[in-house]
Amino acid sequence: MAKAKLAVDVGGTFTDIILICEEKNTFTVHKVPSTIEDQSIGVVKGIEEICGNANIPLSDVDYILHGTTVATNITIERDGATVGMLTTKNYRDILHIARHKKVENFSIQQDLPWQSEPLVKRRHRLPITEKLSAPSGEITTPLKEEDVRAAVQQLKDSDVDVVIVCFMFSFLNDVHERRAKEIVNELWPEELCFTSSEVVPQIREYERFSTTAMNAYVAPKVSRYVDHLVDSLERIGSKGKLHIMQSSGGMASVEMATATPVTLLKSGPAGGILAAVRWGELDNIENLISVDIGGTSADISVIPNRTAKLVNSLDATVNSSPVLTPMVDVETIGAGGGSIAYVDSGGAFRVGPKSAGANPGPACYNQGGQDPCVTDANIVLGRLDKEQFLGGDLNIDPELSFKAMERLAKQLNMTTEEAALGVLKIINNHMALSVRASSVKKGTDPREFSLFAAGGAGPLHAVDLADAIDSKSVVVPTYPGVAAAIGLLVGNLKYDFIKSRVASSENITEEVISTINNDFEGLIDKAKTQLKKDGIDSKFIVIERIAECRYVGQGIELRVPLPEGELTEDSMNEIYNNFHKVHEQEYGHHFSDTHVQIITLRVIGTGQIPSMDIPKLESGNRDNPKEAIAYVRDTVFEIDGVIKRLPTPRFKRDKLLAHDMKNGPAIVVQRDSTTLIPPNWEATVSIYGTLLVSAKNITIETEQ
Amino acid sequence: MAHVIERMAYSSLIRESEDLGAGVFNKFGHTIAEADSTPMQLGCLPGYIQGFQSVLGVNIHPGDIIWNNDPYAGASHSPDIYAEGLIMNGIKFYEKGVRNETVAEIVRQNVRTPREVLGDLEAQVAGCRLGVKRFVELMDKYGKDTVLQASEELMDYSERVMRQAIAKVPDGAYEAESWLDDDGRNLGKRLRVHVKINIEGDELEVDVSGSSDQTPTAFNASYSGALCVSVYSVLRSIFLDTAVHEEFIPPNHGTFRPITVTARKGCIFNPIKPAATFSRANQVNTVADLIIKALAPVLPEQTCAGSSANIQFASYAGLDENSDYWVYIEVNEGSYGGRPGKDGMDAMDFSSWNTRNNPIEDLDMHKPMVCDRYELREDTGGAGRWRGGLGIVRKNRMLTDGFMTMEGDKHTVRPWGYKGGLPGNSASLIKNPDTNPEHLSSKLNGYTLIAGESIMVLVPSSGGYGDPLDRPAEQVYEDVLDDYVSEETALRDYGVIIKNRKLDLEASIENRKKLREKRGKVELYTE
Repeated sequence: MAKAKLAVDVGGTFTDIILICEEKNTFTVHKVPSTIEDQSIGVVKGIEEICGNANIPLSDVDYILHGTTVATNITIERDGATVGMLTTKNYRDILHIARHKKVENFSIQQDLPWQSEPLVKRRHRLPITEKLSAPSGEITTPLKEEDVRAAVQQLKDSDVDVVIVCFMFSFLNDVHERRAKEIVNELWPEELCFTSSEVVPQIREYERFSTTAMNAYVAPKVSRYVDHLVDSLERIGSKGKLHIMQSSGGMASVEMATATPVTLLKSGPAGGILAAVRWGELDNIENLISVDIGGTSADISVIPNRTAKLVNSLDATVNSSPVLTPMVDVETIGAGGGSIAYVDSGGAFRVGPKSAGANPGPACYNQGGQDPCVTDANIVLGRLDKEQFLGGDLNIDPELSFKAMERLAKQLNMTTEEAALGVLKIINNHMALSVRASSVKKGTDPREFSLFAAGGAGPLHAVDLADAIDSKSVVVPTYPGVAAAIGLLVGNLKYDFIKSRVASSENITEEVISTINNDFEGLIDKAKTQLKKDGIDSKFIVIERIAECRYVGQGIELRVPLPEGELTEDSMNEIYNNFHKVHEQEYGHHFSDTHVQIITLRVIGTGQIPSMDIPKLESGNRDNPKEAIAYVRDTVFEIDGVIKRLPTPRFKRDKLLAHDMKNGPAIVVQRDSTTLIPPNWEATVSIYGTLLVSAKNITIETEQ
Repeated sequence: MAHVIERMAYSSLIRESEDLGAGVFNKFGHTIAEADSTPMQLGCLPGYIQGFQSVLGVNIHPGDIIWNNDPYAGASHSPDIYAEGLIMNGIKFYEKGVRNETVAEIVRQNVRTPREVLGDLEAQVAGCRLGVKRFVELMDKYGKDTVLQASEELMDYSERVMRQAIAKVPDGAYEAESWLDDDGRNLGKRLRVHVKINIEGDELEVDVSGSSDQTPTAFNASYSGALCVSVYSVLRSIFLDTAVHEEFIPPNHGTFRPITVTARKGCIFNPIKPAATFSRANQVNTVADLIIKALAPVLPEQTCAGSSANIQFASYAGLDENSDYWVYIEVNEGSYGGRPGKDGMDAMDFSSWNTRNNPIEDLDMHKPMVCDRYELREDTGGAGRWRGGLGIVRKNRMLTDGFMTMEGDKHTVRPWGYKGGLPGNSASLIKNPDTNPEHLSSKLNGYTLIAGESIMVLVPSSGGYGDPLDRPAEQVYEDVLDDYVSEETALRDYGVIIKNRKLDLEASIENRKKLREKRGKVELYTE
């Protein structure tokens, strides 16, 4: 049993820290301002403080679990490394031409980031004479080593930070890429160098090169950050293991995180998804849509069967560049507490994506913001109380919200309350559209899902949003404001190892089968070796084998899990048959008489980390418990088109016990969030303290 | 609706290239809302509806799913699934919710891949049904009158925004013209494309009547499905550029109310039935480019210099070693002219085209063809304060005997430069460029190629925007370091002196001053 675990999630404004200790049954939450120039300063400070607050020595912490935006920020700021590239002659501009598709359909003035701010400038993309043939992978033009030597010299003179080797068809045969890298190492031993076949040995040149370039682009800064953090933690007496969240929702050891930092690009949002999955398990809810609403944006993710969905590889991009690493599927839209409401030049009532952010912030922040924001609308309607902004630590002036909303209402010829309700209706509708896009497009019906409300503003909007998409229930976790950090607590080490192997169902031979068996053996060996190196006992290692298949001629692959044991002709046929089933699930039809191709073999190695449960609550079993009510105030609701002002009790979240029941209208307040339960809705508390909100007469099915 | 169609479609073209359109319309065929998919599919949908209404009249009922692919009644072009084309308008695929099995059987017997085609049709049916269901749900929730009133208001809103944008342009007539290489049969005989834009207050007319007569080949564009779509698409890009406009303007009928599109009956943009209308891309892209050209002097911040205005649509076919028929289709992109504040976009489909290229690694793995080269055309973008975008060069080599078809253009026209910017470079098509180069014309039909022969496609590089002498010498130097511009061009077109990759800034300043005096005032357009 682990003694204690720390989770540290760095966001744009705050760094959230959780310390959980099973022995002492404690769960401590702490927030410090993020230090953007060097995230590790805030991280270290927060860790020292939380250990002090909880009275647990840092040396007792076995695991420090970290979600970081350090890689993401490099891509947003476009201040990564200067990358040099050796690439096959006659294909110098693969990264520049991309898939020759405009971002915007109706725009002449649009910017194409991959052309205006390329990951590798053209002067640093140097053509090398070499060529392999497909599909055999045989050499048709031998590698001209003089070209490589001359190019390395040129890149050395240009003082690039990293060199990448990206040759056509290297997914079939990496012999030229390996040899070129040897020459780079020989001529320039201290230089960092990656080949495309080590980063992501997968078919499709543009996507593979782009992933490799992105990896190189973020690598030096990420390594510097991680090394610095490791040193700092050791200095303050940490003895635990540092694990970093990857885009896939799995954690990586320090060694793996710095070897392929491109896997950290979506580290931030992945934690929140794991939290939703965890709550699904705790409270026995099968299908969730996670909605994490903050100040400027909302992250939306559909999670069927308690399994985080991965982005389809054709759609996996970071800042317009494709990245072929597994990424949890999260849609981010510009909708949050700071979204500004206004009337545009055509006379339309708009909310967002313009945002007042944290500075100047909504009008009520009294920092110079004049525009009414979503937060102001919530204040005007009595849904957010002055004393609830960070438990009253943030000083706000509700009068300014009313004034700003009045100005807007006048323009619209509405009452102030009508305008405020309109603001919420519009912003909730934006989110509802995004939920529909993320669910219907992928063949799921949002009405069968519960909403998982996270982020400071999530629980305030979730029930209205549920109403808009006809979802029947809302799950509000114990600490919605730090959901991403909680997700880190349940993350396991997880690595993907892949190999390109094309095998068609029309030609299954003994030789093909034994090659694939050997391939898998090699991949599994790699996965086990790495996990053991990270200190995982072999009984906690789980191996999953996947064949990525498609119909001949299709442009995208689907993942097919493999049958148990060594592959035989029967099990090969089983793979192809399973592909038809997966295709049916994904697209609603299949072609049983069309040949299926295996394109890529994938092994996912998981190293299980001892999990820790969040503390349980005692049973209260009370209806609208008076002793938990802080005060009662009027709150505005629209019921069947009529605006009503109803006395609404404010319950203190930390005074609620398991199986307590509250009838709407009600508001539950806590330091990091406010939950709104409108009339016609009711909430119960689970033994883990989760608020389960549902339309009256409909109960969520749970074990308890 | 589009999500459902995309997910359920059998054709990879629909699924992966989002080559589809979907929308909700009122009883007049006016667009209330449409999906943001391929622009060449959008905006043409109202024409389809008016087309089948002309056949069915009021004989339309809930649950009907109506077929229309007649290019003379709204469709964009005759179907590309099979060459001859099965054309039907106003035929009910479903009548009051029941599938018409006769129609299904007609389709089954007339297409090469019946399962895929019927699958795609059913995907469209599912999309339509979802659209109807959601719209009825809206009416149940808010009441029919409210919903219809709201959709009118949405159209009025988009109309207001479009009118405001048009009203900013001074009243007047604005003209521009260009040429198409030929109709594919009468080689050397160029076809005129003429655009006249009349602006009066907040209304705009695009008149292409001055263009060439219709052709005897399939090189004609249908009025509603091809011409109007292209005109709407480029006007939206100019007046409501989504990268510039902070607000999302709902694309609906209102946007087009202030716009009239006129084409003389019998011209290449309004052919008289039964002229064939298979190839339309180059004609309508030329119109789009000319609209930009005509408006550039009055809307300098919303336009760009001359673009590729083309599509080089290639299809290669043959029999492989097992005597199986193979076919490979490739849309070769173009490029965009220099823009106010930005260089032109390189290697990009122009205007209402926005396809995705195929990975070379995928092509070489599965087709008996090898792509030997795919790169930018170095040193070809029109010089300017903002450089014209570069086209691409692509070389494909046949591994079997076979033939190719090419729907291309712009071999004889260079994209125009604007306000001192220089023109770009035209397209060409070269057979066996390394061994025995032979220039081919821009349109080929079943052109024979034997195993080992190569085809090199060069697409146009675009025109420059503004005076090249105004481009900072340092920026020209950056271009030379990247081989976008050669040292010779830097000197000739920009007056910047770079030798052995070293910039001589002082000498450049001096030289540019002299050139400026010698040259005098710059032209508005260069071609």
